[in-house]
Amino acid sequence: MSNINGKVYAMNAITPMKPWKTWILRAAFFLLDHVKPMQKDLIDLSFIEFARWVVVPRKGLPFLGNGQQEEVLQYDYLLFFSNFNGTWNQYIDAFSAVLAKGLNLVWRWSEKFPGSVPVTLFKEYIARVQFDTDYYYTAYPHATANDVKSAHIVQLSLDSLSAVAGQSTPQQFADAWLTFVLEVQTHLGETGDAPIAG
Amino acid sequence: MSKLNETDIQGFVLRGYNLPFARYLFLHFEDASRARSLIARLLSHVTTGQRWDGGKPQSTVNIAFTHRGLQHLELPEATLLSFPVEFQQGMKHRAPILGDSGVNAPEHWDKVWREDRVHAWLGINGLTAEALDARCSALHAAMEETGGAAILASQDAAAVVRDGKPTTSEHFGYTDGFGNPDYLGVQRSSQPGQGKLLPDGTWAPLATGELLLGYADEAGELPVAPIPHLLGSNGTFMVYRKLHQNVATFRAYLDQQAALYPGGKEKLAAKFIGRWRDGTPLELSPDREDPAIVKDQIRNTAFTYGADPEGSRCPIGAHIRRVHPRDAFGFNGQLINRRRITRRGLPYGRFAPEDEPASDSEERGVIFMVLNASLPRQFEFVQQQWVQYGNDSRLGNDKDMLMGQHGGHGSFVVQGDRSPTNPPFVCTNLPDFVELRGGDYFFLPSITALGMIAKGLVDPR
Amino acid sequence: MPNKNGSVYGLTILSPIIEDPRATPSHDLQIRDYLAGLSTREDSPFALAPGTHLARLVVMDDVVYVGAPACEEHLKSKYLIFESNCDGDLDTYLSGLAATVPEHLDAIWRHCVGYPGAGNRKAFIDYMKACQLETTFFFAAVNNKTVTETLRALQTQTAVADFIAAHQGVEPAVLQREFIQFAAHLKSQPIPLPGSMGPHRTIETGGRNE
Repeated sequence: MSNINGKVYAMNAITPMKPWKTWILRAAFFLLDHVKPMQKDLIDLSFIEFARWVVVPRKGLPFLGNGQQEEVLQYDYLLFFSNFNGTWNQYIDAFSAVLAKGLNLVWRWSEKFPGSVPVTLFKEYIARVQFDTDYYYTAYPHATANDVKSAHIVQLSLDSLSAVAGQSTPQQFADAWLTFVLEVQTHLGETGDAPIAG
Repeated sequence: MSKLNETDIQGFVLRGYNLPFARYLFLHFEDASRARSLIARLLSHVTTGQRWDGGKPQSTVNIAFTHRGLQHLELPEATLLSFPVEFQQGMKHRAPILGDSGVNAPEHWDKVWREDRVHAWLGINGLTAEALDARCSALHAAMEETGGAAILASQDAAAVVRDGKPTTSEHFGYTDGFGNPDYLGVQRSSQPGQGKLLPDGTWAPLATGELLLGYADEAGELPVAPIPHLLGSNGTFMVYRKLHQNVATFRAYLDQQAALYPGGKEKLAAKFIGRWRDGTPLELSPDREDPAIVKDQIRNTAFTYGADPEGSRCPIGAHIRRVHPRDAFGFNGQLINRRRITRRGLPYGRFAPEDEPASDSEERGVIFMVLNASLPRQFEFVQQQWVQYGNDSRLGNDKDMLMGQHGGHGSFVVQGDRSPTNPPFVCTNLPDFVELRGGDYFFLPSITALGMIAKGLVDPR
Repeated sequence: MPNKNGSVYGLTILSPIIEDPRATPSHDLQIRDYLAGLSTREDSPFALAPGTHLARLVVMDDVVYVGAPACEEHLKSKYLIFESNCDGDLDTYLSGLAATVPEHLDAIWRHCVGYPGAGNRKAFIDYMKACQLETTFFFAAVNNKTVTETLRALQTQTAVADFIAAHQGVEPAVLQREFIQFAAHLKSQPIPLPGSMGPHRTIETGGRNE
């Protein structure tokens, strides 16, 4: 069992919600989806590779018969799955510091959510509702979201340069080369192992 | 914000003394009650944070303890267990987290740091070598008379002297001494660039609790502190690291790379750190040193990186940009306000001027001390995520050029622009310019707490 | 539609695990045991089958009781969660899994209620869809590149960094010639295997984060 593979951490969390509050949450997600500026902060934080929320209505768990007992639940549940770079503490510190309003918008409908500020209480709540990953796979364990974004920029720039390399004079190529290097110069970090989390 | 009682806080925490001579003694306690008597005697020596409006003292004394030191002083079990886990474990145990492996691993440390016997640090600073010796004699006498401690090791350090005057230079030739944060209630006046960035672009002091236990920190909470409150308040945690500098390697590497770099040697040296060797920030003066800026307290650290997103003035991976990103991570700098540290320290070893040969094996380097309220959130985070790693700056696994542990690998990219004297440039096959020779985590108590420890009156309630 | 973000699909599957008091160990523990021994590197089933960026398998024992005054309640079954961030079309992805790594799928999912086996392609896909939950909100940092494109780009990034470092101060005609060679060579290189780490670093940083 490990929550970590290379540079990425798999967090799973489940929180109970009174069913009437679920509708408000769905509205909040609708807004988040359609009002792009609200997603900007999430994008700028740049250490999440993929993240999702899944609303599980209390009658929504798969029921396949065949001897399975049907669930009888009072609460709806909100499942959260995140794939992020960095340590658990760093991740939550960052969210609490800059995305508190967004976090509150999603989790205030969950029972006993203490708010994302102050951060220590918030971390205690997360620790309570987090459950561990049994098996975690990533196709690129040695790369973070930043590494991947940089890699795509380098690939794009390389392809552009390759396209003209054959037809240029050496001097033209030298100019194109400088342009290329300037485009990729902040995107050349090495990939590799992650630092050890305490 | 509560007013600070400067007479209760050790002076070393509140300000750099700018006294050019230092000696650090590492003590071992054999017997708890004799050790407590010694601390009671030392109390009259300990320098507080009271301001020196009447002029600098001839010498200062400060004291700090490792967790095992506090155990040997027989503090109550419940108190000992209430200290932050990182302090309890100590720096040696946390070597993997700090990236202190390979040549920096504990098995290569000085003997005193390889063994787990250091209980206390006594920091003595002096205006002159004579003043330093005189104070040390007095302290030795106290130790003799009480039988309270044995001295395991002694480390001298001193400001580099050039042209007969003490400077803030270090062994690679860089001028040090900029960039310590401002904290609420600590400084008389705020220096632009030193605190936290506000949305309107001005700078404000950081919350006191980023430095001192018992005060609100930047997250609006009290930092983790031992119980009882009185033991922790007005205290802080200190990291001590003896960093050996490979001056010969540095000079050879700089010469070798500078031969290929069109901007010239001094500019390349500046690109490693983010300041020219005289201290001029690249961000303010990318083409030349500027003594006027260096001397001006209002200007010498007042800059942001917003106008330099490509790193063509100050490289993205330059040291000062790594450890104090300012506005470089967006969000009005909010992601870095809890990652600031206060640095103290002095060079040790004989200074070799540029025109004299220097060997890597000669004992020289810097005694690097960090003061912060939270070891994991501040020092350890910066060391692990910003010095030994680069993802937050979008530099992948790249490490700090001078401070990182490279082992002959890795690269440092000097971002540039189209100007012929500022091209993009890559330095590869990075050697280890700096090597860790040991250190530990210490707790620097308030004067009140020292008194409680000395009298054996720590009650964990 | 919520399950997708650009060209990436957020697949969330919750499969009820068989509750059989006679099974020793119980089915959820058997799943756990199997997963504990399964490689997460280039020989992982998700590396061998196409299209998985990141995926996880989690045995969810129960819901969480957050404390009074919330009510305490419990699930009657345990569930195997399969969360995958994958390329493109759901049917193609599931077919790819069934075609490439049926033995692993069967070893894991045979402990789940109503699992028909990966041998029957249609039944397998229907089963998975019956266990699928709709992803309400799906965020992806990069949502328009496939796994293959990503691995290729990462390979390119390393190669380009090395090439730039090795060609400083080289005069234009030589640079041009060597660049053209470099680009051609890079294009012909096989894509690195999904799940394999980058070049092994000699500095000891402790390896796996545990």
